[in-house]
Amino acid sequence: MIPGVSLIEILTVSTLMFFIGVYGFLTRKNLITILMSLELMLNGAAINFVAFNKYLYPGQPNGQLFALFLIAVAACEVALAIAIVINLYRKIKAVDVEQVNTLKH
Amino acid sequence: MEKIIFYILSAVILSLSLMSVLSRKLLRSAVYLFGVLTAIAGFYFLIGYHFLGAVQLTVYAGGIVVLIIFSILLTHDIDHQMPTPDWSRVAVAGALCVAGAVMFVQLLQGSLFSRVEAPEQSDLNTVGNTLLNPGGGGYLLPFEVVSILLLAVMIGAIVIAKQRHSVDDSSPEKQAP
Amino acid sequence: MYDFTTLVQSIGNFLHGQFSPGVATALEWTLVILVYLALYAILGLVLVYVERRVCAFFQLRLGPNRVGWAGTAQTVADALKLLLKEPVTVNKADKLLYNLAPFIITLAALTVISLVPFAKGLQAFDINIGLLFIVAVSSLGVVGILLAGWSSNNKYALIGAMRSGAQIVSYELSVGLSLLTMVLLTGTLQLSTIIETQANGWWIFKGHVPAIIAFFLYLTASIAEINRGPFDLPEAESELTAGFHTEYSGLKFAFFFLAEFVNMFTVAAIATTVFLGGWMPFHLGDWAGFNAVMDFVPPILWFFLKVSAVIFLMMWFKWTFPRLRIDQLLKLEWKYLMPLNLMNLVFTAILVYLGWHG
Repeated sequence: MIPGVSLIEILTVSTLMFFIGVYGFLTRKNLITILMSLELMLNGAAINFVAFNKYLYPGQPNGQLFALFLIAVAACEVALAIAIVINLYRKIKAVDVEQVNTLKH
Repeated sequence: MEKIIFYILSAVILSLSLMSVLSRKLLRSAVYLFGVLTAIAGFYFLIGYHFLGAVQLTVYAGGIVVLIIFSILLTHDIDHQMPTPDWSRVAVAGALCVAGAVMFVQLLQGSLFSRVEAPEQSDLNTVGNTLLNPGGGGYLLPFEVVSILLLAVMIGAIVIAKQRHSVDDSSPEKQAP
Repeated sequence: MYDFTTLVQSIGNFLHGQFSPGVATALEWTLVILVYLALYAILGLVLVYVERRVCAFFQLRLGPNRVGWAGTAQTVADALKLLLKEPVTVNKADKLLYNLAPFIITLAALTVISLVPFAKGLQAFDINIGLLFIVAVSSLGVVGILLAGWSSNNKYALIGAMRSGAQIVSYELSVGLSLLTMVLLTGTLQLSTIIETQANGWWIFKGHVPAIIAFFLYLTASIAEINRGPFDLPEAESELTAGFHTEYSGLKFAFFFLAEFVNMFTVAAIATTVFLGGWMPFHLGDWAGFNAVMDFVPPILWFFLKVSAVIFLMMWFKWTFPRLRIDQLLKLEWKYLMPLNLMNLVFTAILVYLGWHG
């Protein structure tokens, strides 16, 4: 634990970060920025895992391992998403979600 | 001392993530995200989880952000500015997020997490032994599943992003404006 | 015989005796930061001088060997020129990122040298995941390079940055894997412990064939990772004027320049630490007299001797081999170095499993 810092403070930081990510996710239209907001949300969750591990279960590393797996899955997700973005750009010369409507017509 | 560092790190995390979400220039947004991720790695180091911090630096700051920057470099030019989102969308999303954040922070204030005082087990050996332990409480199966997921993603990303030399003329590439 | 632990501890005790704990810690940190900043600048200056001299000897350039005493005035002239040059800024550049890029690169280079163990007890940051941390932090520099290339708003800079990104991201794998091979042998990631495991012989001698293969793989891959010749494609001056730092001048260019040289030092220092025994003196079997003479040389001198040998090797590479093409570069990594590295790793794992390592 960090001396002088309570668990609540860490959780507050991660909550605020998560909701900043949600805000970006809702307002952005560019696929890459949506992806970045998603990363913010995922990291907020990872901070929670780590903080709970440190403060409530210091004897076992389970929270750390969850954060590790989270990082691995986030890397997978980003790799695929970037591949899709680049392919999309090749096809419609844009990466805005509102212009991805070729299925409609 | 740790307390001051924690507050500095939280201020950096929150302000940079806000700037990352609000910035109208794409690459600046990515750079703010880079700052956030590095600050989170700093938080992991502060809390004593060095291995996790190093992994965060390697995979997030050195891998994911580089990928994102690469995709920005490939798909945008420097003069590109994102349009400001419409007023109604900002209002709705902002109200939703503020309401959610307030609710969660309120919930947190009322919660009673009792801190457990137990001997610390966070060194590299414990992490490694738990991660690769096939017995009870071990994480060998998830570890293998994640490695298969990584392999699948690697192949998938190559297949998706590969330039197709399609034979038929009706392929979507040629119809696109 | 020579142990810096007591010296460092007595400085710490003195500070803690004079001031309150908070102030003492802050003073210690300031002291360490100042020492490392000075080291950074001095390393840059010395390496520029050495590079000039070596290149002049190899290519029969006359100037750098003749200006002043043994060419020393050349470095002074270089530094003065860089300091006095007009800082040209690009009008249509993204000013914030343009100014931020050199700092990210410098920060990454400076953080990595804080882990280098110069002698027993003379290390700023002895973390138990040392090698992993080095690999992690050295991968951050590429962000600075990409930003520099993009924010200059110049197509040569952009091409240089893209090349550099592709190169660094691919060669990072080889660097990591070759270090991982050595971690299998040493059984630890902590740099000071790695050196202690070499008290009875350097890993390159007692690590059998895998250590030698890993050494050459590490050297090749890390030369490519720090964008030095013959892998200096990102700044290939014949095609791209100067690559990602085309639009930088004066002091900001000097930041890139310094970071490149300091990265070279770090690569040599890590090669020394992991393969060549760090500050351990050279011992020959049971020749007690010879060993005693070798022990007499201070460890910090040993360290710098080995580092300079590796740096000389790297300069030799740069001024001897022609520059690779981008497809040759990527082919070298993905078709030769990576498979070789993986096979070496498995081979070493079998060796360690059988218990045949020193």
